[in-house]
Amino acid sequence: MSVVEGRWQVEQVFALAPKPSSLSAAQPLAVPGRWAGSGANAQAVWGRCTGSSAEPYECVVDHVAVAMRCSCPSRVLPCKHALALLLLWARGQVPHSEPPSFAAAWVAKRAAAVQPAVVPPAAPPSAAPIDAAAPGAGEQAAPVAAPPHSDDTTSRDDRVARMAAGLAELDRWLDDRVRTGLADPALARYATWDSLAARLIDAQVGGLANRVRRLAGVVGARSDWHQQVLAELGALHLLATAGRQMGSLPPGLSDSVAAAIGWQVRQADVLAGLPHTDHWVVMGRSDVREDRIEVRRIWLRGSTTQQWGMLLSFAAYGQQLDTSWAVGSSVHADLFRYPGALGLRVLAGRRHSDPLPAGLVVGCSIAHACHEIGEAVAAEPWVERLPLCVAAAPARVAGQWVLTDHTGSLPLVAGAVGIGALLACSEGAVVPVTVEWTPAGLVPLTVHLADRAVDLGPTADPSFLAAGG
Amino acid sequence: MSVEQYWNDMVTVALLGTDRREPPSPPAGGLADLAADAPQPTPSQRLLQQVAGCVVARRAGVQPGPVVATVAPPAADPRPVTPSSASGTWRRVVADWPVLEDEWLLAVVQRGRRLAPELVPPLLARHRADAVRHQRVLTAAGPLGDWMVAWSPRLACTAKHVPASGAAMHLPDLPIVPELLHLLSAAPAQVARTLTAGFSAAQFGTAHRAVLVNLLARLSPASLPAVGQALNRVDPSSPSIGLAFALSDLVHLRHHMLTELELA
Repeated sequence: MSVVEGRWQVEQVFALAPKPSSLSAAQPLAVPGRWAGSGANAQAVWGRCTGSSAEPYECVVDHVAVAMRCSCPSRVLPCKHALALLLLWARGQVPHSEPPSFAAAWVAKRAAAVQPAVVPPAAPPSAAPIDAAAPGAGEQAAPVAAPPHSDDTTSRDDRVARMAAGLAELDRWLDDRVRTGLADPALARYATWDSLAARLIDAQVGGLANRVRRLAGVVGARSDWHQQVLAELGALHLLATAGRQMGSLPPGLSDSVAAAIGWQVRQADVLAGLPHTDHWVVMGRSDVREDRIEVRRIWLRGSTTQQWGMLLSFAAYGQQLDTSWAVGSSVHADLFRYPGALGLRVLAGRRHSDPLPAGLVVGCSIAHACHEIGEAVAAEPWVERLPLCVAAAPARVAGQWVLTDHTGSLPLVAGAVGIGALLACSEGAVVPVTVEWTPAGLVPLTVHLADRAVDLGPTADPSFLAAGG
Repeated sequence: MSVEQYWNDMVTVALLGTDRREPPSPPAGGLADLAADAPQPTPSQRLLQQVAGCVVARRAGVQPGPVVATVAPPAADPRPVTPSSASGTWRRVVADWPVLEDEWLLAVVQRGRRLAPELVPPLLARHRADAVRHQRVLTAAGPLGDWMVAWSPRLACTAKHVPASGAAMHLPDLPIVPELLHLLSAAPAQVARTLTAGFSAAQFGTAHRAVLVNLLARLSPASLPAVGQALNRVDPSSPSIGLAFALSDLVHLRHHMLTELELA
């Protein structure tokens, strides 16, 4: 994702939401008809939102230093009005204009207050953690990132304390589960998992909350669900333990733990790193619904370095996913890596040329793929997905589809959507296939034929997305 | 004790709960060393620690399964495959103008092509309840179609009745009002004039959409460019401009799908 003239991406707004329900509440307000006098300049975006009260709520967001003020009574930060205004702006539906008095006065007051502070970053931050809550006199005005240094330290300490408490609670909950047993009927109730997930979100460990919610869907889904649930409880225990010892972990591992539990890194910080320039082949695409958001993973592999990168794209109801990376194309571009032991997640920077059809794609053997999986799991034991490109044939053994070559076989996820098309495209022969490794097996994403790449990856529900998404 | 046996024992204990059963001791080696390095005070904590260690060990130590015999390929099909862009066109047809799908499949067969392999499973699945269309897909897919059904029985036809011979290769009729029937065999210019006059005189409104869609879906392919141009020239201030735009899209898509399948 590139940053266009300082305007945020929708994904950045999502990252600012304190919980999924905040986004759900903001969506209906993110339409031009609900706003009067909305406008934006290089510093801020503002508008008056017509709500249930007699007077419209006045909302201003400083999109450079990431702070906001809204006259609504909500104590949630950012409130739904601020999120809706940012969504509207991110979609290009807020005109450039001069600020009205209420917005100009607030921006000026903030500028005076932070005069001695460090100059805010030039690029807009993205996944800014919401660290401070300072509502007062019926309005909120809270810096959520890049505040003056002393406040930053305090809010960071607060957040670390909340996270530590959340991790401790998670571990106690896990302990209770294995003590009473997985046959406990309470596990079959979604509320059992959802209430824990809600508490984890309150503790600002949203990454763990997502894993807990996904686990709720596993219970009873297959005959061997106990094994899957127990394995994931083990991974959660590992993360809960590692999260409380982050300070003593090596830097890369510490970053991975932080990312896995939900500590978000600002895009500006990622984009400030060194770019990885290469001819990036778009190897595969995979869409997954997570809570109320469609998540698209685009797997890229450098032609020169053979290293992988993963771009993420998000869409709430009625929005579009990123379609600018066509599977089977090659793009000469700069990518910026997020920190982490594996460092798979990337942000796209400058593209140096238009996409071209990728050349010959070569897959590795099944044995080598196992080696790659082992190395990745050893580096990040809680990893849930890995990209692989193998040269193998689909085959069936004991009622299960596998990918096989002369070195062995690996199972495909039962019922994966792309298996039929993989079989048809390969006609049972060895072909290069890009897959996602998951603990449940391989998910086929792309078959690389001699003249084209066929995208087989799981696709988002078209009725959920806007046309073209 | 193997790691697999150890894991299965832990699953059993986890099912019953550590209040009822003690966790198993890890097998000698790395897992036992791990447990000894950080002894846990309670059975539940011991189990969680051992589960975490065992999960990582099993995933990191993944080994290839046995080599599996590959499946025998389908018989060769000498027909050229549909161009890759045609796969996208089929998806558009299905999403926007499904009235064109029968003609698209027949055009594939009549132009001596075979379906792109990635389209065979979704098309077989889509039409498995319709004997005629399923048969048409099998014809367009060639040996690959039967091969796929053999490997994936859920792609087989579920319809009870047997289609009449040749029905799969016949384009089904669509209801067209008698006043417009003559346009099916009229010269392109006359068709274009009639439609232009109808839109200019506000004879065509949204209520006529289904009638006009059927007409344009069965019009002679030679008429399509002229009709498309006529629809593009409808007065933008006309109350039927929305309908004209939609019909123009149908005409252009139909023209595109038929020309795209021509052999070079």
